[in-house]
Amino acid sequence: MLNGKEYIDSLRGLNLEVYFFGHKIKSIVDEPMFQPHIHAAAMTYELAHDPEYEQIMTATSHLTGERINRFTHIHQSIDDLVKKVRMMRLLGQKTGTCFQRCVGLDGLNAVYVTTYDIDQKQGTNYHERFKKYLLDVQKNDWMPSGAMTDARGDRSIRPSKQANPDTYLHIKERLEDGIIVSGIKAHITGAINSHEIITMPTRTMGEEDRDFALSFAIPADTKGVTYIFSRQTNDTRRLDGVLDGGNPKYGIVGGEAIIVFKDVFVPWERVFMAGEYEFTNELVETFAGYHRSNYGGCKVGLADVVIGGSNWIADAHGINNASHIIDKLTEMIAMAETCWSCTLACSYEGYRTPSGAYHINPLLANVTKLNITRMVYEWMRLAQDIAGGKIITLPSEKDLESPETMEILTECFTGKKGVSPRDIIKMLRLIENMSVGAGLPEAMHGAGSPAAQKIMIARRSGIDRKMELAEIIAGIHKDKYFEDIIGKDETAHWDEVKKKIKGKKVQIY
Amino acid sequence: MSDRLSLAYMPSIGLRYCGGCNPQIDRSKVIRKLEEGLKERGMKLDFTTNRKSTVDIILLINGCMHACFEEEYLGEGNSPQFISIKGEMVESQYVKEDHIPEFLIKKIVDLLNSPSH
Repeated sequence: MLNGKEYIDSLRGLNLEVYFFGHKIKSIVDEPMFQPHIHAAAMTYELAHDPEYEQIMTATSHLTGERINRFTHIHQSIDDLVKKVRMMRLLGQKTGTCFQRCVGLDGLNAVYVTTYDIDQKQGTNYHERFKKYLLDVQKNDWMPSGAMTDARGDRSIRPSKQANPDTYLHIKERLEDGIIVSGIKAHITGAINSHEIITMPTRTMGEEDRDFALSFAIPADTKGVTYIFSRQTNDTRRLDGVLDGGNPKYGIVGGEAIIVFKDVFVPWERVFMAGEYEFTNELVETFAGYHRSNYGGCKVGLADVVIGGSNWIADAHGINNASHIIDKLTEMIAMAETCWSCTLACSYEGYRTPSGAYHINPLLANVTKLNITRMVYEWMRLAQDIAGGKIITLPSEKDLESPETMEILTECFTGKKGVSPRDIIKMLRLIENMSVGAGLPEAMHGAGSPAAQKIMIARRSGIDRKMELAEIIAGIHKDKYFEDIIGKDETAHWDEVKKKIKGKKVQIY
Repeated sequence: MSDRLSLAYMPSIGLRYCGGCNPQIDRSKVIRKLEEGLKERGMKLDFTTNRKSTVDIILLINGCMHACFEEEYLGEGNSPQFISIKGEMVESQYVKEDHIPEFLIKKIVDLLNSPSH
C-alpha cells in the first residue's frame, strides 16, 4: 500500500495531457492550482498507514488475502459496507472537502457486480477480465477515476441520434485486439490525479445505442486522452497567498475535469462491456446506489468540521452560550446525524449480489442522497448565520500583512481575550470556503441530481403494497388479524357494534 | 414428475418466514402460488411451519434481499438443505415475484431428486 507521499510521487510517473487557463500544464504535481486536490486524495493513502485508522482504511482482498487499501476493495459483507461509509466520514473530517477516490471505488464494485451478471446471461468473460484488472488495481494501489457522466448534448435525443456522436463516449471501431473509442466525459472528479480511468455508461441505453453501452479501464495517460481542468469558486485565491483560499491544504470540491477521448485504443482485456445495452441500467443503478450512499458519510464528515468551526467562531466572538447559537448548532448536529443514520441504514440493509459482492439498499441510498441535497444547504446556512456577515467581507491576506493596514485590521478582528485575530480570520475563511462555495451545488448534483434520486425512490418504494396496507386498515379489504383478535367475521362484528350503539347519541351542549 | 415425488412417501417442506418488516414481495402469496403450482402438477408435498417437525427441505422466506433470516438460520448451524427466497432473488438469481413459484418448483424437484437427498 502506498502512503500519501508515495501516491504523489507515483503521479510523477504519468504523462497526462492537461489544459487549464488556456495552457498545457507541464507538471500536475507541481501546479499550485492542483496541489490542494492532490493533497486531499493523498489523505486516502496516508491514513491507511496509521494504526489509529487502519481498521477502517484497509481491508483484506478476497482475491489474494492481502491487506489492501479499502478504496480498492470489493465489499464482501455488510460490515464492509458499513466500514466504507465510516471511512467516508473520517476522510471528510480530515480534509474538509472531497477526497475524490470514492468514485473509482464505486466504479470497481459496480463493474464487478454487473460483469458477473452479464457473463451469467450471455456467456461472455467480462468478469474474469475484470478480476485480472482488479488484481492490478489492488497490487499497485491505483486510484482510478470513475468516468460516468457524458457531455450528453441534447438531452431529449438518444445517444445514437445526437448530431455529434462524441457527446457520448462510444465505440467507433471493433478490432481483433480491442476497440477504438471516442467521446467526452464531463465533471469527472479527481481525473487529473488518478492513475487510471474506469468508464461507465451515463444512462440506460437501448438497442440502437449498442455502441454507447460501454465500460472499460485505461491508464490515465493513454494516447488520445486529454483533460481540461474545471474551475471552482475562488480558485485563483490560491495564487494570492495562503489565508484567502479558506482550505489551502485540501481545496474545495473534487478538482473535476472534462476528459476527451479521441480515437483511443482499448485492448479487449480492459473492456468490460461492449454493446450489452440490456445491462446498462444495472450498471448505472448499481454505481449510483453505492455512490449516493457515500454522501451520508463524506458530507457528514464535512459537517463535523463546519459545526466545529461554527462553535469555535461563536466562542471566539464570546457568544457560544447564547441560546440561539446553541439552538442552531444543535439543529446542525441533528441534521448531520440524520444523514449519517440514513447511510448507516442503507449499509446495514445491504445484500449479497449473485457475484458475491455486497450492495447497499438502493431505496435508502437514494433517500440518503436526497436528504443531503437539502440538509447540506441548511446546515451551511446555519454556519453562515453563526459566523456572521464577515465571511463575505473579510479583507485580503495581503492587507492583513501590509504595514499600512495591519494594525487597524488586527484591532478590527479582535474577539474574546486570548484569541488571535489571525486565527479568527482563518476560521472565517474556512467557513466561507465550505458554506459559500462550490461545495453546495456539489452536494446537490454530485452522484446525480435530486430528480434522479426521486425516480429511484418512486420506482423502489413499493407503493402498491402501501395501498394494500391502507385498504386493509380502512376496511376496504378483509383484515385477517383483526378478525382473529375479535374472534369473528368483521362484517358481523360491525353489525353488532351498530346494534349496541343504536339509540346512543352524542351529547351536544 | 420425479420418481421421488411419485412414491407414497410425502416429502415435507418447512416454511420459515423472516419478520416481514418491509417485504418487497407478498410472501404468503408466493407460498400460496407454490402450493397451487405443485398441486396442478399432481405433486403432493406437506407444508409445515412447525419448527419441531423433521422436514426434507426448508424454505427460508425473506421479504427482501437483505435476507436477515438467512443470516440467522446459517448462524445457528442448521441443515444446509434449504432454499432461500430473498425478495426478488432466489438463491443467487434475480427472479421477478410472479416467477418465484415456478422457479421454486424446479428447485424443489431438483433437491428431492438429488443423490444426497
